Amino acid sequence: MMSEAAQHTSCRAMAGWEFTLDGYDEELQRVHNAQFALAGAGLGTSGGPLLARGQAHRWLVVAGMYDGDGPETHLLVGPVLSDLDVDVADERLHRALDLRTGVLRERIGTGPTSIEMIRFVSLTRPGTVAVSTRLSGGVRRGAARLVAMAPCDEGATGIASWMRVGGTRGGIVAALREERRGPVVDDFVAVVADETALPDPNVALDELDRLVEVGFEALLAEQQDAWRARWEDADVVIDGDHELQFAARFAMFHLIASVPDHREAAVGARGLSGTGYRGHVFWDADTFVLPFLAATHPESARAMLEYRLRRLPAARDAATASGRAGARFPWESAGSGRDVTPTSARDRTGAVVAIRTGELEEHIVAQVAWAACHYLDWTGDEDFANGPGLTLLVETARYWASRALMAPDGSAHITGVIGPDEYHESVDDNAFTNVIARWNLLRAADAVDAATGVELGVAPDEPLAWRAVATALVDGFDPATGVYEQFAGFRDLEPLTIAEVAPRRPIAADVLLGPERVRGAQVLKQADVLMLHHLIPEAVAAGSLEPNLRRYEPLTAHGSSLSPAVHASLFARAGDFPRALESLHIASRIDLDDLTGTTAGGLHMAAMGGLWQALVFGFAGVRPRAGRLTIDPHLPPDWDGLEVRVRFHGVRVRVRAERLRCVVHAEAPIELDVAGRPFSAGPVSTEFRMSASGWESSS
Amino acid sequence: MRTVLACIDASAAAEPVLMAAHATAPLFGADIEAIHVAEDDDTNATAAARFHHLSLRALRGDVVEQLLAAARRPGVAAVTVGARSQPTGHRSVGHVVWELANGADAPILVVPPEANVADRIDRVLIAMKGTPANAKHLRHAVELAGGANLELVVVQVADEHSIPSFSDQVHYEVDAYAREFLARYVPGAPDARLDLRIGDPAEEILQAAESTDAQVIAVGFTRGAHPGDGVAHQLLTRSHLPVLLVTLR
Repeated sequence: MMSEAAQHTSCRAMAGWEFTLDGYDEELQRVHNAQFALAGAGLGTSGGPLLARGQAHRWLVVAGMYDGDGPETHLLVGPVLSDLDVDVADERLHRALDLRTGVLRERIGTGPTSIEMIRFVSLTRPGTVAVSTRLSGGVRRGAARLVAMAPCDEGATGIASWMRVGGTRGGIVAALREERRGPVVDDFVAVVADETALPDPNVALDELDRLVEVGFEALLAEQQDAWRARWEDADVVIDGDHELQFAARFAMFHLIASVPDHREAAVGARGLSGTGYRGHVFWDADTFVLPFLAATHPESARAMLEYRLRRLPAARDAATASGRAGARFPWESAGSGRDVTPTSARDRTGAVVAIRTGELEEHIVAQVAWAACHYLDWTGDEDFANGPGLTLLVETARYWASRALMAPDGSAHITGVIGPDEYHESVDDNAFTNVIARWNLLRAADAVDAATGVELGVAPDEPLAWRAVATALVDGFDPATGVYEQFAGFRDLEPLTIAEVAPRRPIAADVLLGPERVRGAQVLKQADVLMLHHLIPEAVAAGSLEPNLRRYEPLTAHGSSLSPAVHASLFARAGDFPRALESLHIASRIDLDDLTGTTAGGLHMAAMGGLWQALVFGFAGVRPRAGRLTIDPHLPPDWDGLEVRVRFHGVRVRVRAERLRCVVHAEAPIELDVAGRPFSAGPVSTEFRMSASGWESSS
Repeated sequence: MRTVLACIDASAAAEPVLMAAHATAPLFGADIEAIHVAEDDDTNATAAARFHHLSLRALRGDVVEQLLAAARRPGVAAVTVGARSQPTGHRSVGHVVWELANGADAPILVVPPEANVADRIDRVLIAMKGTPANAKHLRHAVELAGGANLELVVVQVADEHSIPSFSDQVHYEVDAYAREFLARYVPGAPDARLDLRIGDPAEEILQAAESTDAQVIAVGFTRGAHPGDGVAHQLLTRSHLPVLLVTLR
């Protein structure tokens, strides 16, 4: 099932910006619906064609709009546009998604008798869908209508119709109106969601009137301008690999579309591209999606942090309930902020298995702190640093300080956890958890010590206590080998090199070998120790990247879709370009080729964010640190250049890296660290050239 | 009028064949016709048929020729036939079974002599080995079963090419993978369940049949395949359940 998306249809990229599809494939329709999904300003809808009939899998979701309770909490599916009755002899369908402008074009028929449609979900106007259909050669089209799986009510005025879907508490209402301009039919949809009560249809109808007044052409121009502005700040240009170039833009497109920038942004594992994973929020959001937004559109990253902040009370309650201090963010989160991870499920053979990630995968607490700090590193947002950001750091540090167990010898331990490698459960002193907890404690202590004129509610001795715990936490590092032991006793497990026994990688090793065998073996699902080198390279032992890559990568099955991108980044930094590119290619095709067999449920947001991170952190070596923008390019021989665009402390920056030359254009002065050397750049372009002694400024 | 042919011999193996025909006929909306190619005396076969309130059509001539001719008649929805005469001892499958499978278009339900056939068939296990390309051809089996409102379990025994590459969070992945697999390859059965296994295909299919309480195992059969080859042959040799051979198209 995995590679058929690429084989069955004429699905190809054009000039790096268009995702096109000729024809209609009954078998792959759900995959294509996700790939063509349209989203913006917190609204997402399936990209299934409106000009082809019989589409079963249509959906519309609103970010953060959940239904149900506990683990059954899921995204509420709202009313959506149905397919249209069309009267065209030649029903050949062509679709093209313009990634640059967020507009989906559909055409059915050929020559003089055809129907062309333009459709988009507004990136800037919440709850806005606009469709325009041009009819040629006397062809006709039926009226647009709204459909829903379980509408609770519907109605009509003289000029518009509406439909409402209710959930456990709130609901979603959509209103639809058609306007004709000669051979052109415009359809406007206004969507309103309310988490606490059924939304009033009149609110949607009023918004609809406003949209009609603005008009389709003006809305389209707005959409195009908004998307172009986002790409100005976010594009990554790869000179030398067209396929990868397209894949990178495809990924960034869906990341931009899926994360709103107002109020709060709940970013589920599939974003707004599908209903998979029930819309639950995992570390995927904080770790893999937020960095892209922090670097290119900080407003969206701030909205993601707001999501966590508004659920701080629930996190505090969870910590208290488990006898700890501070805040214990849940592994899976939805509307309430309480943990919504199931406790059991059926595996592939139908056997019931325990799900322990909610109970034991606690590194999520540090991921939330990491996300807040990463946002701060990119933006320098003082208000956040001295306000809600500080609160997040303090509460998460308090959690770790209360979580660590002090041994008689003065060492500190965190026992009974699951690290990023989920093949091994209830392990002690997982290196990733301990080191990122240490980082969390130290970062919080530094932030509190640096905070001036802020009422913190932090006892004077707390930062000192955090530093003490941080220092005492064991990390499994062996200075003789430069390797971190993944968890206590890892080296005593069966020494099984998955690279040698598996027919290929990535592979779901738990399926190949059985969960019991992988539990007892040195087999990793994904980067665990190596996640430290990816997320907090400044907090690991200097020079430890390569020994840990050598030790752990051959043991890694890459059975998580998060893994290839992380390894691509690390291999690039280590200068192993063949393996970096191999991993990068896999990461780039996860949804384009439906490598998981589950793209039909939505696109893998974290894999897409990881792809951006591999390009920017790994190959371009661009990331913020200690008030400077660090740049340390590692370009494969086949690439002529790599350009990344970021916003650093409010300054738009473009970095173009080539093998021996690097140009930094910053709109205002910024401080750089180029491969370990401090420089300044901006407001004019600054050029660096590689010399025998390293990068030198030639400006 | 549609017909389920019950091809019986003069041995005790006729009994489960006739029972299987009774259990199967309602699924096809068909009547049952018991046939026997008599070499000498057809008394035993007649008695067996009469016990099931059926009259027996006795044919003369070459067994395979006669049965194939009967199976190819218009309106034949399915053919039930015994796997072999003897329940114990060497468990090979009779050559008649292979000739029917290779020559008839209708699905062939092969019934082991020791099979404990239920009065009614409620649950069918559809077996698929390896890549999903094979699944497409089993749509016919699914259509047959789906039209009869049967509970379907599809067991896919993955090989090294079809073991999933990724499995992020098992409690979502399993469901998402199964939902898409079934929607894509067995669209006529929205309530079907997918069971993914790794290992020896025949062994895994038999275990899945046992764990799901299946009453029939449906498996694809490639025309012209050597009788000794393939999963179908192993199932016919080892299964205590009736096995429905569906010609891959």
